[in-house]
Amino acid sequence: MLNSRRLITLGLLATVVASVVFLTRVSADDSSMTDAQIVRIKASCTSAKTSLNQLRVSDALLRVNRGQMYDSMTSKLMSPFNSRVDSNNLNSKDLVSITNNYNTAFTTFSNDYQAYAEQLSSALNIDCQKEPVAFYDAVASSRTKRGQVHSDVVILHQYIDDYATAFGTFVSDNQQTIGVGK
Amino acid sequence: MDANKEATTVELGFWDQHRFLILIGLAIAVALVLVTISMALYSSSGAIQLDLSRPGYKAVTSQAANDESSFVDYPTSGKLDAKAINDFKTLYDTQAAKAKAVDAFGGDPLNPDTLSISAPQN
Repeated sequence: MLNSRRLITLGLLATVVASVVFLTRVSADDSSMTDAQIVRIKASCTSAKTSLNQLRVSDALLRVNRGQMYDSMTSKLMSPFNSRVDSNNLNSKDLVSITNNYNTAFTTFSNDYQAYAEQLSSALNIDCQKEPVAFYDAVASSRTKRGQVHSDVVILHQYIDDYATAFGTFVSDNQQTIGVGK
Repeated sequence: MDANKEATTVELGFWDQHRFLILIGLAIAVALVLVTISMALYSSSGAIQLDLSRPGYKAVTSQAANDESSFVDYPTSGKLDAKAINDFKTLYDTQAAKAKAVDAFGGDPLNPDTLSISAPQN
């Protein structure tokens, strides 16, 4: 009888402790989000998802068109010109260096876009009516990753300018050999 | 005559009797494995992100630029004289201006305020 009472008491105590731990964890997850915001997310769920879906499609088109343009800059202009400079036994070191950096930046751009697109897709797969906090976090993560893709684009533009500058320097350094300005 | 027929039937084992079905089953299994591998590669390589023929993207397929005609390849060989330099400069400046014309992925369309999922203002 005494053992049974002890068991029941222990069981109740364990239940209370488990409940406290569980409630603490739940409140920690939602600590940064108010109930009003959760209600707002649920209310805007459908329109937000429609916007995200449109963004996914328009960004995919942008990725294809800009990616093609950025790829052509190196495959059709920079690299062929570097080869031509090299085949004329002129120093193409700076031009090659910038081209290599550009190619690395382009690879980073592709990888970052892939990470962003995957994150956006996972955000779209979340049921924002049932999991508004997870949906908000997924959108926030997509936003960060999209910002990274934009930074990659800015870096690519910088390398395009750098190559033009290096080209100008190359021409002025080799005026005699190539006969520019005669 | 009947005895010979019976002897022949008995000699056929399980694999011999079902070899056609086994062949079909194996062909399907191999096809499934190959399709799984190719889909994994399609997804992990990033090719999926560039595929605008996927469902949901067909509306913008026609807007994908065909860059082949507008982007001229610069010749990799030949004498590097003033004309070659000027040709390259003209080509490069034109394409660089096009490449930089769009501030791609700028803006902030995923801002919680834009999507109306931010905390309500009191």
